[in-house]
Amino acid sequence: MTSTVASSTLLEARAIYKAYKGVQALSDVSLTINRGEIHSLVGENGSGKSTLIKIIAGVIGPDRGEIVFDGRRRSEGLNALGAIRSGIQVIYQDLSLLPNLTVAENIALSQVVEKGRRFINWGSMHRVAEAELRNIHAVVDLDALVEDLPVSSRQLVAIARALTQGAKLIIMDEPTTALTKPEVDALVAVINELRSRGISTLFVSHKLDEVLRISERVTVVRDGKPVGVFPATDLTTSQLEAYMTGKTVARKRFETATDQRGVPLFELRSLSREGHFSDVSFKVWRGEILGITGLLGSGRTELALSIFGMNPADSGEMLLDGQPVTIRSTEDAVQNRIGYLPEDRVLQGLFQSKSIGENVVVTILNELRGATGLISSRKTRTTISRWVEQLKIKTSSSSLPVTSLSGGNQQKVVIGKWLAIRPQLFILDNPTVGIDVASKAYIHEIVRDLARAEMGVILISDEISEVLGNCNRVLVMKEGRIVREVRSSDATEEELYGFVSGKAN
Amino acid sequence: MTRTLRAVLARNPNNTILLVFLFATFVILSLLLPDKFLSLRNFQSMGSQISEFGLLSLAMMLAMLTGGIDLSIVAIANLSGILSALCMKRLIASGVWPAESLAVLLVAVAVALGVSLLCGLVNGLLISRVGVSPIIATLGGAALYEGMGIIVTSSRGIVGFPDRFAFLGNGFLSIFPMPFVVFAIAVALFALIINKTRFGLTVRMIGANPVAARFSGLNIPRTLTWVYLCSGLLSGISSVIMMSRSNSAKSGYGSSYVLLSILIAVLGGVNPAGGFGTTTGLVMGIFVLQFLSSGFNILAFSPFTQNVIRGTLLLVVMIVGYLLEQRAGSTRRAHRPSLAHDETPGTGAERPSGKAPPAAMS
Amino acid sequence: MVSSAARRTSSRLVRRILRRNEFYLFLFFVGFCALVQGFSSTFLTLENLFDVTRTSAGFAILAMGVLVVLLSGGIDVSFFAIAVSAQYGAVKLLIALGVSSLPMAFAVSCGIGLALGAVNGLLISAFRLPTLITTLGTQTVFHGLLLTVLGSRAINSSDLPRCFLDFSKANVLTLSKPDGTPFGLSAFVPIAAGTYVLTWLLLRFTKLGRGTLAIGGNVESARRLGFNVPLIQVCVYSYVGFLAGIMGVINVALIRYVTPTTLVGSELDVIAAVVLGGARITGGKGTILGTVLGVAIFEVLQTSLVLLGLSSFWQRAFVGLIIIAGMSITAYQTKVRNARNLIFRLE
Repeated sequence: MTSTVASSTLLEARAIYKAYKGVQALSDVSLTINRGEIHSLVGENGSGKSTLIKIIAGVIGPDRGEIVFDGRRRSEGLNALGAIRSGIQVIYQDLSLLPNLTVAENIALSQVVEKGRRFINWGSMHRVAEAELRNIHAVVDLDALVEDLPVSSRQLVAIARALTQGAKLIIMDEPTTALTKPEVDALVAVINELRSRGISTLFVSHKLDEVLRISERVTVVRDGKPVGVFPATDLTTSQLEAYMTGKTVARKRFETATDQRGVPLFELRSLSREGHFSDVSFKVWRGEILGITGLLGSGRTELALSIFGMNPADSGEMLLDGQPVTIRSTEDAVQNRIGYLPEDRVLQGLFQSKSIGENVVVTILNELRGATGLISSRKTRTTISRWVEQLKIKTSSSSLPVTSLSGGNQQKVVIGKWLAIRPQLFILDNPTVGIDVASKAYIHEIVRDLARAEMGVILISDEISEVLGNCNRVLVMKEGRIVREVRSSDATEEELYGFVSGKAN
Repeated sequence: MTRTLRAVLARNPNNTILLVFLFATFVILSLLLPDKFLSLRNFQSMGSQISEFGLLSLAMMLAMLTGGIDLSIVAIANLSGILSALCMKRLIASGVWPAESLAVLLVAVAVALGVSLLCGLVNGLLISRVGVSPIIATLGGAALYEGMGIIVTSSRGIVGFPDRFAFLGNGFLSIFPMPFVVFAIAVALFALIINKTRFGLTVRMIGANPVAARFSGLNIPRTLTWVYLCSGLLSGISSVIMMSRSNSAKSGYGSSYVLLSILIAVLGGVNPAGGFGTTTGLVMGIFVLQFLSSGFNILAFSPFTQNVIRGTLLLVVMIVGYLLEQRAGSTRRAHRPSLAHDETPGTGAERPSGKAPPAAMS
Repeated sequence: MVSSAARRTSSRLVRRILRRNEFYLFLFFVGFCALVQGFSSTFLTLENLFDVTRTSAGFAILAMGVLVVLLSGGIDVSFFAIAVSAQYGAVKLLIALGVSSLPMAFAVSCGIGLALGAVNGLLISAFRLPTLITTLGTQTVFHGLLLTVLGSRAINSSDLPRCFLDFSKANVLTLSKPDGTPFGLSAFVPIAAGTYVLTWLLLRFTKLGRGTLAIGGNVESARRLGFNVPLIQVCVYSYVGFLAGIMGVINVALIRYVTPTTLVGSELDVIAAVVLGGARITGGKGTILGTVLGVAIFEVLQTSLVLLGLSSFWQRAFVGLIIIAGMSITAYQTKVRNARNLIFRLE
C-alpha cells in the first residue's frame, strides 16, 4: 500500500517479532518516528533494542511484522545496502570511519562507491565534503587524517557522511560516551540542525538525562516487549528507569563513619604528569569511598591509570599506609594490591575468547599453585567456583566463554578478578556505564561492601547521582587539577553539577 | 572411561579430527608399504628425523601462542650449529682436550645453546621492549643470523665431528634413537610449562588479549622476552641434533622447516592470532607430517614434490578450518555486519573492537 | 598584511614537509650518498647512476607491488616465486614456438603472473585466510610446481631468444665517457618509472585504489561503506603478480640467464626496502615517494657494501641489520607516542 500523500510519519515498525539464537528477542514491538523528529529508544542491555535497530537498518529481517518507511512498505529480503539507499543510516559506536584516509574522503567516498563510479574526482569530493560539513555547521580540516582527529570531530565526519547518502533517518548508537560536555552540546546542536532540515534522528543511549534533554519522544522496551512511547517532557530519569526495569530502585545514600584519624590507607602528594594532570594530592582512608568526578578530559582517568601503573607520573609521591611506593607498571600495582576496573570493559577488562573461569583467576595465577609449585587444577577449580558463587554470576558453567554472559554479569567477572587479589585500594572507572539498572544497584552494593570491609575505594564517575549516592567525599577535577572537594552529605546534585561544569566557583 | 574420553575429545574438536587423520595416515601407509613402513628400522628412522623439526615446531608454537611468530628459528639453529662447530674444531685443534672427550662435547652443546639463547634474547627484546612487530623482528633477525653464519663460514659447510658428538644424533637409548629421547623430554617439559605454570597461562592470556593482559597486571615485556628466549633455546637444541645427525653445520640448512613448523602448528590447532593451541595437537601434527615425509621418501617423491604437497596441505588445512568455523560460528556468533569482530587481512588476527576507547585524549 | 599571510602559509608548508617521514628519508639518502662518495669517488658519477638504476629496476618494480599489498593490510611473500614461474614460462614458450618477440614475452609473463597472483587473492578473500601464512604456502606450491613440472635446468644465454638479449642492451639514452666508450640509461628504467606512475594513478584516482587503502585502514568500515572487499583483494594480489611478470622479463634480460633456483628466498630484501620507506606493516599507510626513497636507500646501502670492500657474504646480515635498525626507530617512536596518549591497541 503506497501512500501518495507524504504523511508526517517517516518510519513505522509494526508488531515486530524476532527470535534470535533461540531467544525471543522481540515480541510485538512497534516504533514510530515522525519526519524531523528526534526520537529516543531506551532499554537495558538485553531488552532487544539492538535487535530492533538491526532490523530497521536492514541488517537482519524480522520474523513477523512490517516496516513502512517513507510511505513505502519494505519488501522482504531488503538488506543493509537497500536500507541505506532508502535513506536509513546507522552511526555505530565505532563510527565506521577509515582512519588512514582524509576527512574529505571519508565523507564523500561512500557516494563514489554507491554511484558506481570508477574514478575519483578530488575536486568534487572536496566540494561535496565541504558542503555537507557546512550544512551541519561543523568546522573540520578536510585534509586531516581521521585518525588524527578527536572523537568529537570524527563524529561530525560520520554524520556528514551519513548525510551525503541522502539520509532521512539517522540512527545514532551511544554517540556521547566519549564526548566532553561542550562536545555533547555541539552534537545536540547538530541534531537540532538536522531536525530543522526535516531529517529524523533515532537516539539510542544509556544516558537518560541526555535522552530526556534531546528528544521529543521516548520509546521504551523491556525484555523484548514494548513498554510504551512517552513524550520526553513528561518524564523524569527515575520514571524512565522504572519503565526500563519494571521496578523502582530505591536509592540509599551510602553512610559510614570513616575514621579519618591516623595514617590514611592511600595518599597522593603533588602527583603530576605533563599534559595529563598536575599537582594532585588527596588521601583515602580505610572504609572510605572517595568519588572523583569531572568532565571527560579533566584528567581523572589519566590519574587513575597513574595510580594503577599504566601511566607513570613524572613527579610526586604515592604512599600506602604511610610508606612511599613506586608503581611504574600494572604488575607493581597488583603486587601492592591495587586494583583497577577499566572503563572499557570489553577491550580492557575481559579476555573475550577465554572462559569465565580463566577471566576470573588471571590476576591470581600465583595462588593457583599447588604443593609442587605447579598450577593445581583442583585449586583452580575451587578458586573459580568460590568467586563465581560469591558474586552470584549467573552461568551454568565457568568453562563457558565469558561472552556468553550478559553485560552486567560480565562486569561482575571483571570485578571478581580484582576482588580475588584482596585489594587494599580499588579504583573503579565508570563501572556502571551500559549496565542494566538492576546490575547497577548490585555493583553499588558490592562497592559499599568493599568499603565496609575496610578497603579503600576510589569511584570515578560521570554520573553525579552515582557519585553522590555512593561516596563519602567527592573530588572534582578540571583540566588536570583538583578544583573542589565536597562531603557528599553536604552537597546537592545541582551544586556538584555546577562545580563540574565550571559554572559555579 | 569412554565417556570421559569422549568428553575430552569433544572439548577439542580439532584434536579429535587430527587423531582420526593421524590414525588414517598410519593405517594407509602401513597397508601400502607393509614391509618398509611397519619396520622397527623405519620407526627408528622416523623417531630420529622427527626431532629436528619437532623441536622447531615447539618453538614456533610458543611464539604463536602469544599471537606472534618466530621466523628466525631456522636461522638461529644454523648459526648456533655453525658457531658450535667452529668452537669444537678450534678446541680440538688446540689440543687442550682430546677430540673424544666429554669436555669437548659439553663445550659444543654449551656454545650452541648459548648462541641460540642470545639470538632469542635479541628477538625478545626487540619485540617486547622496542615494540617491533614479531614478523619484522624475526624476519630481520633471521636475515641477520643467517648472514652472520654466511660471513663466518664463507658459505662453506663445516664437517667432521667426533664420534662422541655423533652419538647425540645417531646413538640409541635401548631401542629409542637419541634424538627421539631428547624430543620426548622436550615435549614433556613444554607441555608442563604451557599448561601448569604461571608462565604458560600468562602466555595464553597475552595471546588472547594483550591489552586486557596488561590491565590485569601481567608483565608482558618480561613474558614475551622469555617466550622468544625459549623459542631460541628450542632452536638451539634442534641445532645440536641437526649437527650431530648430518655431521655438518652450514647456513641455509633446513630452510623449509619454517614453513613446515607453521604448517604443523596450524594443523595442530594453534591459532595464529594467539591464545589457543594444545601440545597434544601439536605433537599429533608433528607425527602426521613425519608419517607423510617417510611415506614420500619411501615412494621416492622429489623434495620439490614434497614441498608442493606441504604447501598445499597448509592451504587446505586453513581453508577447512575456516569452513568449519563458519558452520559452527553461525550458531554461536552473530556475524554480518557485526561490531564484535574486526578482521584485518593481515596476520589473520580477529580483533574484538568493543566500545570506542574513551582514553584517546585530545 | 599580504607578506605576513604569505609567510604564514610558507611556514605552514615548511612545517608540513618537516613532519613528513619522507623528508628525513631524503636527508638520510643524501647524507649517505655524500658519505659513500667520500670513500669512493666513483660513486656519484652518471655512469654509476645509470648502472645502479639498471640493476635495481626489477627490484623497484616489485617494491611497488609490495607497497600495494602492504597498503591493503596484507603481506605477500610469494612474488619472487611468481616472477620466476612467469619468466620461466615465458622463455620456454618462446623457445618452443621459435619466436623472438619481446611484447609476447611480456604478455605471457604478465599473464602467468596475473593468474598466479589471482590465486593468492582468491584464497585470501574467499576464505579470509591470514595473508602471511597463505602466501608462504603459495610460494612453496608455485616454486615447487615450477621445479617439478618445468624442471630445474637453467637456460643459458646462448639458448635465450634474441629479444631478451637485445632488450638487455637497449638504452634510451646514450652518452660517452671521456675516453669515448659509451654508456647508457637502460630501457629498464622507463619501464620501472612507468609502473610507478601507473601505480600512483591507480592508487590516487580510482575507486579500486582508494578501496585498497580503505581495507588497509579498517576492513569492517570499508565493507559497510559498500566496498567490494573480495574484489579489491583479488585485484591487489593480481596486480602484484602482474608486476612480478614484468620484473621476470627484465630479470632475464638483466642476467641473461634463467634458473628457477634464483630469487626465491630474498623476498625480505624487497619488503625491507618498502618498510624502510615508511609503509606500515599493519596496513593503510605508505607512499610511493617513500617506497622510491626506500628502494634508493637500500640500493645505496648495498652498493656501499661493495665499495667498502666487504664481500657479498655480508649482504644478508646487512639487510637484517637495516631492517632491525630502521624498524626499531619507528616502532619505538610509536610506542612512546602511544604511551603518552594512552592509546591501547591490540598490536
